[in-house]
This record gives sequence, C-alpha cells and structure tokens, in this order.
Amino acid sequence: MLTMIYAIAGYFFLMVTVRLLTRRPGAQMTMFEFVIVFLVGGVVILATTHGDRSITNCAMAILTVGLLHNFVAWLKARSSRVGALVDGTPLVLLKDGAWVDEVMRGMKMAPEDIMAAARMKGINSIFDVKYAILERNGTISIIKAKKDIA
Amino acid sequence: MSEVAFQKTVGDSVPKINDEVAVGEDLDFQRKWWKFESVMWWIIALLLLLNFAGVFGRGPVAHAKLANDAMLVKYERVERTGTPSILEVQFKPNTLGRGQVKLHVSQSIVDGLGTQRVIPSPSDTAIGRGGLTYTFSAEQAPGSVQFALQPSRPGIFEFTLQVPGSSPLSAKVVVMP
Repeated sequence: MLTMIYAIAGYFFLMVTVRLLTRRPGAQMTMFEFVIVFLVGGVVILATTHGDRSITNCAMAILTVGLLHNFVAWLKARSSRVGALVDGTPLVLLKDGAWVDEVMRGMKMAPEDIMAAARMKGINSIFDVKYAILERNGTISIIKAKKDIA
Repeated sequence: MSEVAFQKTVGDSVPKINDEVAVGEDLDFQRKWWKFESVMWWIIALLLLLNFAGVFGRGPVAHAKLANDAMLVKYERVERTGTPSILEVQFKPNTLGRGQVKLHVSQSIVDGLGTQRVIPSPSDTAIGRGGLTYTFSAEQAPGSVQFALQPSRPGIFEFTLQVPGSSPLSAKVVVMP
C-alpha cells in the first residue's frame, strides 16, 4: 500500500521536476543530461520501493506507475490544457530569418542547438532555415526556406 | 469487407504561424509557465537551504537536547523513515554511583521511533507504566546509554524518559516520509 502511494508521489514529483528541467531532457539530451535523468530515476526508485526489494513490491510499483501514466495520457488527449501542462506547447524559435529572442532565452536554447537540428536535415547555413520549432517532445523541427530561382 | 467504425471530418484546428505552418504555439501559456518555473526554482533553492540547515532532519536545526537534574538527553527532533539515528542519555553524577541506574522509556521509543538496539545492553528490562524500565549496571560518572533508532513509518511521536525519582523528560519527534 505504502509503495503504491510512494509510486504515485514519485511519478508526480518526477513529472514536475522533468518539466522544470525545460524540454531538453526530451530529445536533445547531451551525455551530461542523460546521466542526470538516470540519477534522478535511480533516486526515486530507492524511495519508492522503501527497502522492500521483493518482486511483488516492485511489480506493484511498476503497475501503479503504468496505470497512472495511462490515466495522464487519457487526460492529455481529452484536454489540451492538461497536455500543455504535462508536455508544454510547441514553440517557434526562429521565424522568417529572425530569432525569437524571448523563446530562445526562456527555453535556454543556443543557436548551436538549432544548427545541430538543421544539419540533421542536410542544411548547412542558418539562412536556409525559415522556421525552427521546438516540439513538445523536445525535438527541433526545421522548415527550409524556399530559394528564389533566378 | 470491413466497415469503418466511425469517421470524423479533418478540421484545420491547429493555429498557424504566418498563416503558413500549423504549429499550435500557445505563447501566453508559455509565459505563465516561465513565471511559474522561476518561482519554483526559488522554492527549490529554499527547500535545499532548509534541508542543509536540517529542517527536514540530519542537520544542525534537527539536533535537540533535554535536561533535568538526573540526565541530559540528546536526540533528533526531526527523523527520517528508515534512517538510523542515535538518542543518547547522559546521566548526571548524582544519578550514577549507586551500582545501578534505572531508566523508564515510553513505548513510543520502541514502536514509533523504532529502537533497534540499546547500548549497552541493560542487565534487566521490566515492562509496565506504558513503556519499559531498563536497569543498567553503573559506576561513577560520566556514563551514558544510547538508543539506536530507525523509524519504520512517518508521523509525530512523543516520547518520555524518566529516571525513577526525578521529573520525566518529554519531547515530540517528527518522522519525515
């Protein structure tokens, strides 16, 4: 019983913490951020199982988190507000050849992050990017600028 | 041929940027979130400072003392579930020197605060009066007894310690989850 309560508390605690770590833990993780996510997860596991390492206890904790996650996913699908709270909202980082400073600063993004995403698309100059959008899952979508044909 | 269970017409419901790219950006929400985020970072910093000070246990603020003419008790006013700690009873010189010393502890020391061991082992233990009365062989001062505690559940527990013939000492201990 206590494990289930700890699992629920741990789930929401992690949800808020990961949301506060901005969206970088999603898809743009550096090795350092990768280590942080595992470290946080490991610490939460210790508190959740509460010294009881039996298969029964661990299975109950996993099932609790699984059911809770399903419930939150159902809520997200029903309400865009819940979706924005849990996953955030897509944000435009670059629009028509200009950085959206407020968003870049707010999301602690550097032009290098956008160029990394652009290179994945085979774009080698920032001037060829019309829109850069930070998606809810942490990836950066790049939309190419159309070149004028002389 | 299988039938389609239900159909819903596709609508252009996602807000666009420059009337061109459907993004669904909600900058007003994001601005509110950034404000919430900055407040939360301050709260987190405050929680860490309080934790460093020992407000949530295992720090200077958590250390506490109680004293009367028979003994001095050192304990933690904030404990943590499953975390070991020591409650120490130092007997005053007038309490020792009679060959033995008796100490009555309330049941909450054993149940709520989870006594694992009493150091040194008492020569005799008697139950009654809502707790346990330990008898220790004793010589001249200084002398002390330690209770190795490890609470098994969170809560607020009041304990009482008494050397028969002197006034009891009581305190509350908060056990954090």
